[in-house]
Amino acid sequence: MSEPAALSVQRNGGGAKPWRFAGGLPIALVAVVVLLAFLPWYADFATQRLLVEVFTLFAIAFAWNLVAGYGGMVAIGQHVFVGIGSYSLFAISDTFHLNPWLVLPIATLCTATAALIFAGPMFRLNGAYFAVGTWVLAEMARIGALNTGWLGAGAGMPLEMIGEFDRWSRNAYVYWAALIVGIGSFAIGAVVLRSRLGLALMSVRDSEAAALACGVPATLARLSLWVIAAAITGTAGAVSYMSTLQVTPDASFSLNWTASAIFIVVLGGIGTIEGPVIGTAVYFALRETFADFGAWYFIGLGSLAVAAMIVAPGGAWSLLARDTNIDPFGIRRRMPDNLSGNHARSDDWPA
Amino acid sequence: MLRTEGLRACYGLFQALFDVNIRVGPSEVVALIGSNGAGKSTLFRSIVGSVRVSPGSVWLDDVAVGGESERRQLNRGVVLVPEGRQLFPSLSVLENLQLAARNGRRGQWTIERLFDELSALRPLGKRPATSLSGGQQQLVAIGRALVTNPSYLLCDEVSLGLSPLAVTDVYALLRKASAGGTAVVLVEQNVNRALSESDRFYCLQKGRVMLEGESAVADRAKVAQAYFGV
Amino acid sequence: MTIACETLIDGLLLGALYALFGLGLSISLGVMRMINIAHGDFIVVGAYLTSLTMQLAGMQPLTSLIVVVPAMFMLGWLLQRLLLNYVVGGSMFAPLLVTFGLSVIIQNLLQETFTADTRSLQAGDIARRGFELGSVSIGVLPLLSASVAVLLFALTHLLMARTHFGRQSRAVADDPATARLIGVDDRNFFAIVTGFVFAVIAIASVLYAMRTPFSPSAGPERLLYSFEAVVLGGLGSLWGTLAGGLVIGVAQLFGARISSGLGPFFGHLIFLLLLLARPNGFFSRQAR
Repeated sequence: MSEPAALSVQRNGGGAKPWRFAGGLPIALVAVVVLLAFLPWYADFATQRLLVEVFTLFAIAFAWNLVAGYGGMVAIGQHVFVGIGSYSLFAISDTFHLNPWLVLPIATLCTATAALIFAGPMFRLNGAYFAVGTWVLAEMARIGALNTGWLGAGAGMPLEMIGEFDRWSRNAYVYWAALIVGIGSFAIGAVVLRSRLGLALMSVRDSEAAALACGVPATLARLSLWVIAAAITGTAGAVSYMSTLQVTPDASFSLNWTASAIFIVVLGGIGTIEGPVIGTAVYFALRETFADFGAWYFIGLGSLAVAAMIVAPGGAWSLLARDTNIDPFGIRRRMPDNLSGNHARSDDWPA
Repeated sequence: MLRTEGLRACYGLFQALFDVNIRVGPSEVVALIGSNGAGKSTLFRSIVGSVRVSPGSVWLDDVAVGGESERRQLNRGVVLVPEGRQLFPSLSVLENLQLAARNGRRGQWTIERLFDELSALRPLGKRPATSLSGGQQQLVAIGRALVTNPSYLLCDEVSLGLSPLAVTDVYALLRKASAGGTAVVLVEQNVNRALSESDRFYCLQKGRVMLEGESAVADRAKVAQAYFGV
Repeated sequence: MTIACETLIDGLLLGALYALFGLGLSISLGVMRMINIAHGDFIVVGAYLTSLTMQLAGMQPLTSLIVVVPAMFMLGWLLQRLLLNYVVGGSMFAPLLVTFGLSVIIQNLLQETFTADTRSLQAGDIARRGFELGSVSIGVLPLLSASVAVLLFALTHLLMARTHFGRQSRAVADDPATARLIGVDDRNFFAIVTGFVFAVIAIASVLYAMRTPFSPSAGPERLLYSFEAVVLGGLGSLWGTLAGGLVIGVAQLFGARISSGLGPFFGHLIFLLLLLARPNGFFSRQAR
């Protein structure tokens, strides 16, 4: 501290190189993607539908993680975008008799626009005020949809145009859409976080005052993240409901979307890019194994959440990555080792 | 006798104190000198229980008390006046004092006695604590620690940001505390002041004790060397 | 005119109950900076506990408070001591997930034990009585609830302003680290605070269950109204929560007049509009 040594903050530390996927990553990933892409030809409809749920929920959880973990904004009402995305898709497709898959990008656009509009009022709020504000917004959207006749009110809307497709195509196309959403959200997230936007966000997360003093456009950074996350959430929601074929207010604007996202993200490790992956895996592993137990499954899930936070508040990923040098996707930034002979990690400084 | 033995303190993976040995006798006044980041505040926080340390690293009258909670140390008579005064804004001056007195030990330092010594503060009792001037707040902060009747009063940078007049008042109060039998440990950036107000001193640098001695006969050159690490 | 008057009065009376929902949340948010997502579910637990007490001991709802309040105090004390103390003070996400988990556990446990059917407390005569004030008719039960609510707010205010417990609470809300330095024993103190919060929840739940049928899934809606009351009034302000609750209650009932079924919607709308006018709540310390 008293030696003003020439600081060079390197991307991944000057000392021992962290373990990352080296040349192996692209090849391994491509292989997995190809395998997944060809799935409709070797897996049954039930498996495809399950994977649709996995990829869409992952995307929604990932988006929530971006906003909460990296943007520092806890949006309990983020599920409003699930509803907006799915309703836009259904409404536009039904009204104009358009191919739902062609409408999907429009649904994304609608959600992004909604996010921009909401940002006006919502960004005036901070912390708990923001959290509750978004939740109230989502509730209003739900009640609004519930009381709107041309959206089907309580019973919701079916996706009429999907009848034009045969069963195999329908399942396959929805599956591929989900696959793209799942992988796409992760890719977008990784790209964003490694970019200047990501750096800006992390600096704002650490200390907004200091970041602003350095000229970081904090509000613009947050807004960009908010819109990106909303777009991901809306698209994922739309695809999810393409699979169920019916959208209703109580389901698509349900708090359960955010609750699941919170479970996945916090259990896996908030503010990390790997956390949601682990969290989703755990969530679905548990669901597929224990869902038959009904209420007891949920009690178990809740208990797991409680126990996990006592044992590892940083989530599962923190257990794995804490004292090891794992950084598969090159997101971490660490001080070089040669500073006063000690490792120093910023999250451990005294407050 | 309050002493530390091989005290090590860490924040996560970062080690702030290395093998620190200091001792403070009853009724002594001891100064801790050092630049920013030397570890003075960390040393205080380790003694008083805010930073986890091993039981055998802090001894009070031959009992190992390291790592115990702040409440426990308060009951044993070891109390910290934190850097920056840290009065509670939602409480009045009087309430700040009442809170501490109720949680602390019985003894000569009652709120009444405090107001006798600091008569200028008496009429300000009902005012929100943080609406007072810096100097007044510092007096209240020290008073808040005093009303717990400590045997060892740890004062972290009590003259920081105060006018010379206010500093005089602060040290007058500390002298009264010392006269009453309380040992005082001061962290003070002003080396001259630190040496003139204390019996003994320790000089810290980068978490290590570099120098110690009797304040009256301290070699200023050596102190400067230990302070700046030159 | 009479209808408007009646709606206003009914709204104020309902709002006082919402404020009471929010009182506990306000204290735990203020003192422990913890968002308890299961807050609404504990209100429902209180209602079921009361129902059980009435069944087993043959008591009236109000007299069963003698059993329910201490029981809930103990529940809160134990919960804080055994569980929540381990996640207080760190990041905000651990408590968020823990209390979300608790919420899920409670709702499903209640469902397993009592089925998903709604039930209500047999409030007896008092639920039907009312009296006339001029041309306006007022129900006895709502008036009683509102009076109890205001009384509890006043008691809590006195507790916070005049007692050692209150001073400690305010100190911890200001600065937990320094509070520890002057002898506040976190673990025990927080447990007592949560116990007190749960005692307030118990009273709120009895008053709530006497006028509204409840079911295991009724929690989240109570939580939302509690939040609206606390947030609108401003975090850290006790009387702000009362004001916030009153506003929500009035807004909901006026909304229901305009279009039945859209009561909560108007409550939410007014909430958002007002919050946007004062992003830190109306009476929060930061609002100045």
